[in-house]
Amino acid sequence: MRQLHYPHINETLYHGTLPNGLQVYILPKEGFQKTYATFSTRFGSIDNRFSIGEEPPVQVLDGIAHFLEHKMFEEPTGDIFATFASQGASANAFTSFDRTAYLFSATEYIDQNLRTLLDFVQHPYFTDENVDKEKGIIEQEINMYKDNADWRVYTGIIEALYEKHPVHIDIAGSVESIRQITKESLYTCYNTFYHPSNMLLFVVGGVEPEQVMQLVRDNQAAKTFPELGEIRRYFEPEPQGVRKQRLEMKLPVSLPKCMIGIKDKQPVADAQELQRQDIVTKLLLDVLLGQSSQLYQSLYDDRLISDSFGYEFNSGNGYSFSIFGGETRSPDELLDRVKQAVNEVREQGVSASDFERTRRKRIGNYLRMLNSPESIANEFTRHKFRGGDLFELLPIYESITLEEVNERLRTHFDWEQSAISIVCRESQ
Amino acid sequence: MLPTKRFKTFAISLYAGVPLAENTVTATALTPFVLRRGTSATPETIAFRERLDNMYGTGFGFDVYKRGDAQIVQFRLDVIHDQYVSSSVSLLQSALALLGEVLTSPAMEPGVDHAFRSKYVQAEKQTLQQRLEAIINDKIRYAAERCLEEMCAGEPYRFHALGQIADLAAIHERSLYESYRTWLDRACFDLYVVGDTTLSEVQEMVASAFRAGDGQPAVYSKPAAGSHVSEVKTVVERMDVSQGKLNMGLRTRTTYADDQYAAMLMYNGILGGYPHSKLFMNVREKASLAYYAASRYDGIKGLCSIQSGIEIANFERASHIIQQQLESMRKGELSELEMSQTKAMIVNHLREMQDSAFEMIAYDFNSILTGRERSAQELMREVQAVEADDIVRVADDVVLDTIYFLRDGKEGGEQ
Repeated sequence: MRQLHYPHINETLYHGTLPNGLQVYILPKEGFQKTYATFSTRFGSIDNRFSIGEEPPVQVLDGIAHFLEHKMFEEPTGDIFATFASQGASANAFTSFDRTAYLFSATEYIDQNLRTLLDFVQHPYFTDENVDKEKGIIEQEINMYKDNADWRVYTGIIEALYEKHPVHIDIAGSVESIRQITKESLYTCYNTFYHPSNMLLFVVGGVEPEQVMQLVRDNQAAKTFPELGEIRRYFEPEPQGVRKQRLEMKLPVSLPKCMIGIKDKQPVADAQELQRQDIVTKLLLDVLLGQSSQLYQSLYDDRLISDSFGYEFNSGNGYSFSIFGGETRSPDELLDRVKQAVNEVREQGVSASDFERTRRKRIGNYLRMLNSPESIANEFTRHKFRGGDLFELLPIYESITLEEVNERLRTHFDWEQSAISIVCRESQ
Repeated sequence: MLPTKRFKTFAISLYAGVPLAENTVTATALTPFVLRRGTSATPETIAFRERLDNMYGTGFGFDVYKRGDAQIVQFRLDVIHDQYVSSSVSLLQSALALLGEVLTSPAMEPGVDHAFRSKYVQAEKQTLQQRLEAIINDKIRYAAERCLEEMCAGEPYRFHALGQIADLAAIHERSLYESYRTWLDRACFDLYVVGDTTLSEVQEMVASAFRAGDGQPAVYSKPAAGSHVSEVKTVVERMDVSQGKLNMGLRTRTTYADDQYAAMLMYNGILGGYPHSKLFMNVREKASLAYYAASRYDGIKGLCSIQSGIEIANFERASHIIQQQLESMRKGELSELEMSQTKAMIVNHLREMQDSAFEMIAYDFNSILTGRERSAQELMREVQAVEADDIVRVADDVVLDTIYFLRDGKEGGEQ
């Protein structure tokens, strides 16, 4: 087990790689009552075409990673939530574009809970009957999201930006696709992506690192996993341009909701570069669109945005885009105004004072995030799966230059690469 | 004030509560929207927000909500401990000073006495109106709020914490300023700070940051007991939705102030608080009728509510299964396992609270609201001691009041 000290943020992380390939990270937090653990696999909604070793590639149905996540909670002995509850733990899971995470938080019976987490995720139990039963539940989940305007406008913009890359496919799939899922297809995914060498365990809280590591080691040593060839993921080449410039959907909402997206022509592949680009772009979005920007205030004064206005930068294997938006009385006017203002900043360049102020703010947000065991575990895993390190962000923040931010502004904000997604009511 | 070294930040929370009342609810709701625009020292909103950014992105936010029959305005600040950054002044002191300004020294209309900045009042009226209109966008929340509104039709609790659109037109910069002054005089104010500091240090900072009046501090009054339920009220509302939302409102006779509070927490936990609860197991896992089916207990008001999202055609079936669970609670069909699982979950939640500064604050605030002192440790002991009979006793007093169903059909629909 290695110890990694991060003096500037006052944290020490423990890391070990087990013989079966599982990555284990432990972050002791003195004085914390709770232990929070996530057990994550690098398998998300975008991993829909893949191969192992020399075997031919497999194409799987939309929504299967999420379906699998649901089904893992069932064991021959019943629902695993009940086991966690008996041990005072609240358990949950989520599926994103590029990973699936299983998690619990508890203040007692940490050893039992850790074993339960490792054991249930490493024990698939799918039958024709229980797979069928889950379809009704997931259909209701899909229907719930259908009525959710924020979700629709969000998935809408990604659908408008991407044509081939599976990031544009809804994480839950569609009612039609999930109806075709079988236990066999679930096992195919499971046997590929739930191999320990494709997974990461993160434990944070009031724990003793040596003890936790020993427990995990013993637990894993008692199980056998077949050798797994290299996992390859296949993505069809994505055209540079956007798929559709505009996408409109109808739902009963009080005001139109809109998201504007900008797609990078060439997603970055190198891990270090990806992490740096992530930070630089997020800082840039803060400068341009943050609450203390001139643009934000003038849009707010003219009632083109409300407190619901937000923005984010999202990137991963083969995709990279910014989106921003919220409620607005006029999506088109909003787009025009943002274009105009951003173009002006692009010509003059971001000012040194705006840059410094925003850098400070981002550092503050970063440190604040480190109060939360949940955020640490989730963000750490996200960064690690793409080759980065969450605890190394402070030096990056400190080394970013104004020139870098201006350069990113020039390359990223290419309006040829933009699209708009709108949800409004019939009459709007 | 809770001193601790666990966090990298100081958490600051200021609560201001007044009774929910028709003639003040909207002005009170609008007040923090206007106050957050700027202060007399930093009247321009951009400059105000730059001030926060320069304090290492100090988090500043507010919320308006109902607790019992009180309307609470809460301001929150989250500021980095100076240890992690190179700051020449104490960030905690700067944050408290800023909060003091926000509350007592707002941006005023130049050249006019006793009036907020007109521009801010106009803009924030719009914002508040849009917020109220947007309630309909989130169907899960909308259904939950409509259910309680129908259930409490004759009580102050029927009002939305953000007020009423119809009141907004009559509000202007002078009238709002006057309402604000009255609010300052009458509201119960409670300030919390959690972080690596001491009470005396904070007291000193607060004394210079807030111009506290010399009147007696106000206290919260007990929420009105709900009306007697003679017949279950059923409300069906139609809208263009894919999924039906079936909600139920229940009256209980138990609040945080009562000795039976722990038993009521257990009641809600076994009924629908968790994935092992009766609602989740029977509506979702056994019948595959829903993705979510849960209950929530509001211990300040003494209400319990049930939420589920279902296929519209399954209304009767889901409603029947949910009512069967209520009946099962009344009959005391509580297994040892349900008891022990639910106890473990509640106790775990109470312990986990200690890891979040804002959750610790929110818990302590219950004692201010109800006048009942009860530490998290005490509540844990009380929960551990609850027996099945205690739950049956509180279950006897739980009465189904309102069934609310949001379903497909013409937009706007019957109301």
